[in-house]
Amino acid sequence: MTRCDHWVMQRRTFLSRAGLATAGLAATAGCIGDSSNSDDGTLTVATYSSFTGEDTAGNWLKSAFEAENSEATVEFRTPENGINRFIQRKASGATVDADLFVGLNTGELVRVDEQLDEQLFTTAADSVEGADTVDPSLSFDPEGRAIPYDTGFISLVYDEGEVDAPGTFDALLEPAYENGLIAQNAQQSDPGRAFLLWTIKAKGPDGYLDYWEELVDNGVQILSDWQPAYQAYTNGEAPMVVSYSTDQVYYHGEGVDMSRHQVGFLNDQGYANPEGMAQFADADNPELAREFMSFALTEEAQKEIAVRNVQFPAVEGVEPSGDFGKYALRPPEAVTFGYDELVGKVDGWIEAWARQIAGQ
Amino acid sequence: MARRDGWALWIGVAATLATLVVVFYYPVGRVFADAVAVDGRLTLAPLRAVLGDPFYTGAAHTLFIDPAAVPSGIARWLAAGAPPVEFGLFGFTAYQALLSTLVSVLVGLPGAYVLARFEFPGRRFLRSVTIIPFVLPSILVAVGFLAMFGRTGLFNDLLGIVGLGPVELTFTLEIVVLAHAFYNAPLVTRLVTAAWESVDADRVETARTLGASPLRAFRDVILPQLLPALATAAVLTFVFTFMSFPIVLALGGLELATVEVWLFARVQSLDLTEAATLGAIETALSLGLLYVYLRYEARRTEPGGASRGLSRRPLVDGIRSLVDPLRVAIFAYSAVALVLFAGPLVSLVIESITTPAGQLTLDYYAFLLARQASTAAGTVRPFPAVVNSLLFGVGTLLLSIPMGVVVAVVATRGDRGSRAAEALLTAPLAVSGIVLGLGMLQALVFGTTLFGYRLTVTGPVAIVAAHAVAAYPFVSRSVTPALRSIDDRLGEAARSLGADRTRVLTDVELPLVAPALVAGAAFAFAISVGEFDSTVLLSTGVDSATMPVALERYVGDRSLGPNLGPATAMGTVLLAVTTVSFVLIDRVGGRWE
Repeated sequence: MTRCDHWVMQRRTFLSRAGLATAGLAATAGCIGDSSNSDDGTLTVATYSSFTGEDTAGNWLKSAFEAENSEATVEFRTPENGINRFIQRKASGATVDADLFVGLNTGELVRVDEQLDEQLFTTAADSVEGADTVDPSLSFDPEGRAIPYDTGFISLVYDEGEVDAPGTFDALLEPAYENGLIAQNAQQSDPGRAFLLWTIKAKGPDGYLDYWEELVDNGVQILSDWQPAYQAYTNGEAPMVVSYSTDQVYYHGEGVDMSRHQVGFLNDQGYANPEGMAQFADADNPELAREFMSFALTEEAQKEIAVRNVQFPAVEGVEPSGDFGKYALRPPEAVTFGYDELVGKVDGWIEAWARQIAGQ
Repeated sequence: MARRDGWALWIGVAATLATLVVVFYYPVGRVFADAVAVDGRLTLAPLRAVLGDPFYTGAAHTLFIDPAAVPSGIARWLAAGAPPVEFGLFGFTAYQALLSTLVSVLVGLPGAYVLARFEFPGRRFLRSVTIIPFVLPSILVAVGFLAMFGRTGLFNDLLGIVGLGPVELTFTLEIVVLAHAFYNAPLVTRLVTAAWESVDADRVETARTLGASPLRAFRDVILPQLLPALATAAVLTFVFTFMSFPIVLALGGLELATVEVWLFARVQSLDLTEAATLGAIETALSLGLLYVYLRYEARRTEPGGASRGLSRRPLVDGIRSLVDPLRVAIFAYSAVALVLFAGPLVSLVIESITTPAGQLTLDYYAFLLARQASTAAGTVRPFPAVVNSLLFGVGTLLLSIPMGVVVAVVATRGDRGSRAAEALLTAPLAVSGIVLGLGMLQALVFGTTLFGYRLTVTGPVAIVAAHAVAAYPFVSRSVTPALRSIDDRLGEAARSLGADRTRVLTDVELPLVAPALVAGAAFAFAISVGEFDSTVLLSTGVDSATMPVALERYVGDRSLGPNLGPATAMGTVLLAVTTVSFVLIDRVGGRWE
């Protein structure tokens, strides 16, 4: 619970005591403008819900960071609609109410800038220790606001008992792969969007729609999100699914049929989807936010984040411990669209694609 | 007026309206304002942009951009031999909703017949649990359907045993329609059962003694009393499946996208004007349909004056009854219902005790216990989630039953404009959940500035209010037709003895419509327990997480790998808790009947 909520709680108690609660609803007033008590050592981190809770990277970061800074307390906010919550808050004049956002990707940063005239985040790369150790190929913000802390690579996962590795995008159009692939809706799913962008990388903005027409003719299925898609793959509805190259980290060891967890890189590539953290411009605790970012870039934290979040470290030269290195497969070549390539284009690409699929 | 009606009724009306304004009309109105106003000026441009886009409206788009060209377009189409016409995303959405409604009625109606007219062991239990599908999150329905009807699912195994199949249902319109029937046929069954149980046996017997055949008695006496409930269920099913969202893309794929899929994508990319426009068109269509229906219902319903329900026949009456064609048909129907309803549910429970490799496991339940013991920040614990769900559910009942009854009373007054008022009061059913969520976010979570204060409305009380607003139309839609069929003379008699409107309602009318009220209450509870969007939006932390919220968290929890085991275990808990709840609601309500 944040400072502001504490205040709201008191206010609420006062209001209901004063008999002002209307129609059985707790009306609460407050939380306008800046909160004054910014030096109480609470760092409010906004992130996605699966980053927090038991056994997660978020929980480890919180404990380890608090152990190192006895003054600090880390609190998580996990709004259901992620970064949009903060874009909308800023746009509507409500307080942003958090110091740091963890889990930002390139497309989301583009959306932030397209939607808001004001700055939601502030440049931090120069003042965050360790930011210069991040793999430059993963840095996706030309203004240095978002600092990557890990990355995933989108790839295919396939059942080698059913199909051979397709190897190339063109191979997916062959009869051998008819009704063979399950992908995700790029309008709502991260891996789905990454896979679509990968095809645009491979076929070009002028060629990807034709390519997809042929993919659909060959029976590709586009489900809502990763979970239903992977579930359908697990149930044997198709022999290939768009997923992550870390698949085998979850599936190895005794009693696991590894033939159903083969990772397929197309054109010897994987599409990198780096995740970044960025400090809100309205942060109450900017120093603590930068300290937290530095901490997340230390070697120890990078290893823990990688293993617990099942993503690759963003800092160069960090090798996560245990089985991770053995089962998390790096693509021979990582490709991705940078910020400047997506600005002004990505929405149009996705819309044209979705209309073509749904209009069939 | 107030004296005649009793103060309680008018206080109820005022409180209902106040709650509606705060958690429904104002938030939704704020979103819809975007559809008709740009930079503070009224405009039809967003509406024309959507309606005039062939992607959304297909052949009908000419009507909105160049109406003068319509006659010549139709002439050319006729000259070409009237080939099939596409009506775009809206056309497809309506088409799949119509199919889903037909199938839901076909599947749900025989169920009502069996439950209302036959006696057999477990009948009351079955009647209580018919609406369980209502509370299931779509991700679980998708899991259950894949496990049941998938390529390697139980259904194909069963077909294999009798030498049939396999059938390929995944990624087809058929499986989406089946999933819609899974959700909505119970609505048909429950509402029609309640109506059937309220049919006055005396009137049927009178008709029979006057020489009417059983068929004639059914057509002239029973059917007119069932039609309003059946039509209500059908209209609601159409409205719900028209706005269907997650299940379509989880089972069917993007090629079968509905309007709601596009609405969600617009909200995701923060193109809120187009999102609001799509939502406004959906709501206009749904409300229009509801209004037309309500007018029909008001004219159609005949007073019944239930005193004594029809007696039920035993389903099994000696060995010979087993080969009676009617019984055979009922058993065949039961087999279909078993496959469609019990199949996915049982598959779900089986998934919760099976590893991906097919071995038996209790790991997923151990996971729930481990989460219960966890102290990590952000962890959703299962037991408090169960308690929260029940508390919110009871709170919703306490709020939505009076709200629903009040609205039903207003609806049956028969004043001029009361049909329009009723349609507006039923609007929570006709607004997309995505639009409502967006409105609540902007108006309640971010807050509204009033007299220099930014007012925010969040927390458990707000959650219960939001649930009640989503739930009360089920109470009012269930109670209104029943209330209307009560013989007016009963109320007039009570009034002449000095009772005010409120007394008449509580002492005379409500006991007479108890089956409909209990059915509405069960739906209200189900809505609350299954609700996800506003619960998450209005909660102030994991402390107010409910069972669906916990379940959604466990879907994203990777500590046992990316599988849905923990979620299916939580889903099984949800099934168990709601089963007991529904039985309790019926038992408590039944005492009153």
